[in-house]
Amino acid sequence: MTAHRGWRRLAAALSLTALLAGVTACGGGSDDSADGDRPTIRIAYQNFPSGDLVVKDQGWLEDALPDYDIEWTLFDSGASINTAFVADAVDIAAIGSSPVARGLSEPLNIPYQVTWILDVAGDNEALVARDGAGISSVSDLVGKKVATPFASTSHYSLLAALDDAGVDSSQVDLIDLQPADILAAWTRGDIDAAYVWLPTLAELQDSGTTLTTSAELAQGGKPTLDLGVAATSFIEDHPDAVSAWRQVQARALQLIADDPDAAAAAVGRQLGIDADEAATQLSQGIFLSPADEASDQWLGGADGPGNLAANLEDAARFLADQQQIPDAPSLETFQDAIYNDGLEDDVTGGQ
Amino acid sequence: MTTLLARAEEEAPTGAAPGRPRLARSASRWRRVGVRILATGVLLALWQLLYSLQIWSPVLLPSPGAVWEALVRTSTTNDGVVGYQGHYLIDHLGISLGRIGLGSLFGVAAGLVVGLLMGTLPWVRVVVEPWVTFLRTLPPLAYFSLLIIWLGIDESPKIWLLGIAAMPPVAVATAAAVVGAPATLVEAARAMGASRWQTTISVVLPSALPEISTGVRLAVGIAYSSLVAAETVNGLPGIGGMIRQAQAFNQSDVVILGLFAIGISGLLIDAALRAVERRVVPWRGRA
Repeated sequence: MTAHRGWRRLAAALSLTALLAGVTACGGGSDDSADGDRPTIRIAYQNFPSGDLVVKDQGWLEDALPDYDIEWTLFDSGASINTAFVADAVDIAAIGSSPVARGLSEPLNIPYQVTWILDVAGDNEALVARDGAGISSVSDLVGKKVATPFASTSHYSLLAALDDAGVDSSQVDLIDLQPADILAAWTRGDIDAAYVWLPTLAELQDSGTTLTTSAELAQGGKPTLDLGVAATSFIEDHPDAVSAWRQVQARALQLIADDPDAAAAAVGRQLGIDADEAATQLSQGIFLSPADEASDQWLGGADGPGNLAANLEDAARFLADQQQIPDAPSLETFQDAIYNDGLEDDVTGGQ
Repeated sequence: MTTLLARAEEEAPTGAAPGRPRLARSASRWRRVGVRILATGVLLALWQLLYSLQIWSPVLLPSPGAVWEALVRTSTTNDGVVGYQGHYLIDHLGISLGRIGLGSLFGVAAGLVVGLLMGTLPWVRVVVEPWVTFLRTLPPLAYFSLLIIWLGIDESPKIWLLGIAAMPPVAVATAAAVVGAPATLVEAARAMGASRWQTTISVVLPSALPEISTGVRLAVGIAYSSLVAAETVNGLPGIGGMIRQAQAFNQSDVVILGLFAIGISGLLIDAALRAVERRVVPWRGRA
């Protein structure tokens, strides 16, 4: 009798495993979503002020690609977007440069390419020390509690700032906190400093001193950027869609430059904040002009990949030094990961 | 009053089913262990097979070997890097177990008091019951941000969260068991001159113990399943913080390792609680 029951139990365990395997198979199988003949573009976006939100708000991509279904999904971090790319669940995404550097390195090796630079972090990300904590420079942070959202561009910038000041990151008590928790811990006096982005940053600056900003780090050769990336397979299958996507992104950058109020209104609607606040946040980031996108300093054009590849390699080497990834890939890997075919036409003729 | 308890203990044999030969019992136990080991082996083999088929990227489904390597890596010092984020796996687990122990202790104590009051004083039950149910339905992550604002980012919000999660099952089980105490025994005790307090301590509580012990096991389980929520903020070192961190860096092997660490230690804790239960409530299931 007991033996009988044992076998039945084993059978139950096995069928459960089979069921689990089936479920995961379904999860991975939702590829290019070919219901009907209308292809779907699955876009991952994040809630930081950028041209991407303008495009979404105005429905420009839907207008430009009437033959496609556009599916917008909100993500809250670059790490989760990387996971989504590994699972082949998104085609195009807005994502920070340090997650991209990680995604292009071992062990992820995500087959995606950089198609756009949404913005360069400027004064919208900064390191702030709480008044009364006795910190007046980055080197004073030794032995202090410093919070930042781990695996973000701010985390990268914080480590870079410490490195620049000759402080070993193990001498600092680094704490992984999301922006909302940083604000709570800050007001209670639980942390001494934080590297974070707007709008939390603005509240910290009311009762703190800014030690350094991402704009200063960019000048020192450690820029952090928000990038547009697309899955390599998607670029190969739908180069026209990528081209249209770049054209509407160029249009959004042009709007931010020419009519900041209209851009701020659109971004404010998407973020659920008022237009004035959105305008402040937009004014603190650095937005390239469409023509700059194709310059040698950034994505480059027909002459070859631009300097962005070197920025990404720098970032990867830094991550490897910080033991966040095993090894930094070669510069070539990053040059191959920049997609700029036809970019010049899109940023000049596309408007 | 004590005679009641003593008789109950006498009646309970030392855990052996009456009349069954010892040899057969141990044989069946070995067979059960064998089936379990076999099932685990089959699961591992299936896992390895799925991995070898290369259907998914290793980031989505790391191999058993990769998880084993993660275990070794997080338990040793490599190139000056201590374990995972400066702590060994066992330290992460130990610190988390400490939090669970403390949180469960407070939660169970509070649950016992609330449950006893609810069970003995009808008006308390009327007032408190909806609040206990309210608390029970709240997902821990939903109120954790409030605890952070009130209590900071160190240990206290984590302990509070685990305590709040552990309290309701004990309170509900205790209240139900106290109300369900055999009326004849209670009346007999009262008739023999026991005060209300004496009746509660010597008659009601012992008869409620089996249900309370189930409530405690449930509570510890719920506290354990709230651990990752409790360690979402400043959770390192801690096994939940480790899993979250590994997720942020797409280190699936460490995530799976953490899940195994939680699952296996959860099984051990439950087994320990059951052993305690058998000692404290030997008459369970035979009343």
